[in-house]
Amino acid sequence: MCRAHATVRGLLGEIVGGAQDVAFADMEAGLENFSRGTPRHADVVLTVLEPYYRSLETGARVADLARELGVKRVLAVANKVRSPADAQAIGSFCKSRGLDLLGTVPHDDAILEADREGRALLDCAPSSPAVRAIEQIADRLLA
Amino acid sequence: MKIAIAGKGGSGKTTLTATLARLFARRGRNVLAVDADSNPNLGASLGLAPEAIPAPVPRDLLQDRVTDDGRKITALSISAAEVAARYGAQAPDGVRLLVMGRVAHAGAG
Repeated sequence: MCRAHATVRGLLGEIVGGAQDVAFADMEAGLENFSRGTPRHADVVLTVLEPYYRSLETGARVADLARELGVKRVLAVANKVRSPADAQAIGSFCKSRGLDLLGTVPHDDAILEADREGRALLDCAPSSPAVRAIEQIADRLLA
Repeated sequence: MKIAIAGKGGSGKTTLTATLARLFARRGRNVLAVDADSNPNLGASLGLAPEAIPAPVPRDLLQDRVTDDGRKITALSISAAEVAARYGAQAPDGVRLLVMGRVAHAGAG
């Protein structure tokens, strides 16, 4: 067994009852950690979808694997959406795969700028469209 | 509530994770953010300076042991809360950050 993955599993599994009441895990890119079962302790898996074919397919496979692992709430978040056509493509893909779309984050140059400067988006551009969209997603997760 | 965020590399999952973590903290939640990516960037996205980003959690926290019913398991040797307290760092808005570190893929599976 890979110990880094086992440590993540242990933490996700045991974190409730600790000092923190919410845990976010930024998972490794791609599918490897899912095939190892790392996120099986998660209550919610968010799969981030960009409006192009390979991203959608990977995101849908992540969602299927998370469900197989027994995760109850598997939700999609659309990201880097530039146009109504992008939004529609992701919307109809989610419908065809039985995925609930939790929210849509628009393409936003503020994110590129924050990345370039190595700073937090919230500090760089607190009222950017991307932050406003993520605020809505936070509200829905907390609802 | 435990929320895992997944996606292809470059999909924006790290920015989403960091921003959600800080927004939850601003709404009064006590938030742990775990960087489980083998190319860890969550610290910077949370707003931490490079020198403030904690070292990865040591691997030797895991212990193999045999349960009462004879199964072999690998489990943390200290509680997850202790892991967060000892190896985590404080990020803006009070988010606690833990870094899991790089995985040596070759032969490590």
